[in-house]
Amino acid sequence: MNLAYTVSIAFRNLFRNARRSSITVLSVATGGIAVLMFGGFVANIFHSLETGLVMSGGHLQVFKQGYFHFGAGDPASYGIANYDEVMQTIKSDPQLGPMVTLATPQLTLFGVAGNFKEGVSRTFLGVGFIPSDRRKMAQWDRYDMHIPIRLSGMTDEQTDVGIVGYGLARVLHLCDALQVKDCPQPPKKAEQKAAVDTDIQALASAEAQTAAQQTQAGDHPKIDLLAATSQGAPNIVSLTVLKAQNQGFKEMDEVFVGMPLGLAQKLIYGRGTKQATSVVVQLNDTDQLYQAVDRLNQLFQEKGWGLEVRTFHDLTPFYDQATGMFRSIFAFLAVLMGAIVLFTVINTMSMVVMERTVEIGTLRALGLRRNAVRLLFIVEGALLGMVGATLGVISAIILSILVNASHLTWLPPNNVERIPLRVNVTANPDLILWTWILLVVIATLSAFFPANRAARLTVVNALHQV
Amino acid sequence: MTQTIAEETVARLNGVDKIYRLGDVDVVGLKGVTLALRRQKFTVIVGPSGSGKTTLLNLLGCIDTPNLGTVEVCGQDIATLDDNQLSDFRAMKIGFIFQNFSLIPVLTAYENVEYPLLLTGVPAAERKERTLAMLNAVELGDKANHRPNQLSGGQRQRVAIARSLIKEPALVLADEPTANLDTRTGGAIIALMRRMQETQHTSFVFSSHDPQLMEWADDTVTIRDGEIIDMRRAA
Repeated sequence: MNLAYTVSIAFRNLFRNARRSSITVLSVATGGIAVLMFGGFVANIFHSLETGLVMSGGHLQVFKQGYFHFGAGDPASYGIANYDEVMQTIKSDPQLGPMVTLATPQLTLFGVAGNFKEGVSRTFLGVGFIPSDRRKMAQWDRYDMHIPIRLSGMTDEQTDVGIVGYGLARVLHLCDALQVKDCPQPPKKAEQKAAVDTDIQALASAEAQTAAQQTQAGDHPKIDLLAATSQGAPNIVSLTVLKAQNQGFKEMDEVFVGMPLGLAQKLIYGRGTKQATSVVVQLNDTDQLYQAVDRLNQLFQEKGWGLEVRTFHDLTPFYDQATGMFRSIFAFLAVLMGAIVLFTVINTMSMVVMERTVEIGTLRALGLRRNAVRLLFIVEGALLGMVGATLGVISAIILSILVNASHLTWLPPNNVERIPLRVNVTANPDLILWTWILLVVIATLSAFFPANRAARLTVVNALHQV
Repeated sequence: MTQTIAEETVARLNGVDKIYRLGDVDVVGLKGVTLALRRQKFTVIVGPSGSGKTTLLNLLGCIDTPNLGTVEVCGQDIATLDDNQLSDFRAMKIGFIFQNFSLIPVLTAYENVEYPLLLTGVPAAERKERTLAMLNAVELGDKANHRPNQLSGGQRQRVAIARSLIKEPALVLADEPTANLDTRTGGAIIALMRRMQETQHTSFVFSSHDPQLMEWADDTVTIRDGEIIDMRRAA
């Protein structure tokens, strides 16, 4: 029996009980829609997380060997003195050059930030960078996520201007000066120190008034940053705080200070050789990540620079944890939907076999072989799967377009601002293809058991089934 | 007792026993049946319900096997064939006409008649020619594109007959072929089969209670309680 004829008969059989076939097709389609919509949403989460990380910290960072494990406690000893040469080598390498969007130095440091006018201070995590490079990095949008770019407002020309986290602004009593919204007010000093001399109170009051007048005039508050230099001596610089910026999670928000690279270098290295703790590298495409890592390691080995490369996966373990969690949820949902499709099609095909037992007997009596009977029912199951999967794909695409056009937004974990809620179905042809294939395979496998039962019926028993 | 109707046979049963197991009870379908059926004749098997008529037809149609004894159809001992070979043998040699017509509902009259030719691998052009000729022979040329549910009982039975004859089988088996038809239609169907038998030289074996059909028989086999009790040749 030729396959085309079998398919033709199987297709017509689907219409014998159109209602039942429709329900089965709808079940398969619903499974497909659920998998595709959630898969599209998960893909969007992955892309938004990745985009956010790459926008702020690049795809990878080059460190002096050992920095990743020990350098946080001693940034001065793990500096890269020849960072300009490293960047130049990366940009001019014939393999790496075309992959790289940008390579920029960064200096990470720890110290104490103080607003001595207010008599408050706390430890900080400082990041020194080149503001114009940061602006370029923030434009990376490989997946068209349109994540709002948060500009610091810093410029390369302003050598002592930086930003702080919301939390740090609050602790350093800078909320009013930086116009931070929803910032709790600190307890008044008068309540804290009732016994302070009235003269001193008057002086403090006058100073605060002057500070407020300066703010109104467009001036920004200053804080002092204290850190140990590479030689171990204490050093202090003054930073004009341009604005407070939400860092997304409390721990970072309460310690973050962003400053120009030059100022950070001045704080850590004083008059010594200016260094960077890392060179941040942003690529055109994340797919090139490990190719770039291999090439960088090869280059550093050749040059004997003693540098190591860390990807954003290493630097932000949260990314892999979050994507791993969403992958698990997606797999769970896919298995659940697969099971629903499996049992729906098994149920439908079992009923079909039961209803058509006499017909099976007739076909076998006419000379149709067991395998041909088996094939006929398997093809019917496969057709149910194909029609359902195709309907599911089309519906999911339409739904995703509607969702994307509705301009919904959501706040992902660790994000500062709401981002567009998008369901990337059409942008994931692999997801569409595999979902379609999976649904058809499940439907076909589901039909196999009833089909096998049909094929194993004896002709006599089948013919005399009532 | 050996029952032989003629020397030139289309099917032969030798000492056949067929026992069915129904729950814990053994039911005797056939007991020690030895029978030879004449080629190109119209044989009717008669007997009361439960006498073994259908069991005998099943064995002749190679859709069942005996517990004891041998069944030969067209010279072939069916016990020597595996399931696929039996399917092919049926496809080539045996035509069935079922009491309830058993047409495939999703196929048109044309496709139902054509179906056995697909199973035997007849080329498309020849299939078309033979199918149309057969439909015309049963006077259903104008109903070729009708599905079974668009045909009357008589028309469906004619399609079933056409389907059984299209491959020019050596043996056509029919279980109560006129049971669901009125007398007039039944008579017309019998006449049609008789005509086909003459033109295509096919052997027909029926089980029936229909006196009208028995009148047309060349040979009559009477069966009761699984045993053949009488065999008669028409005068």
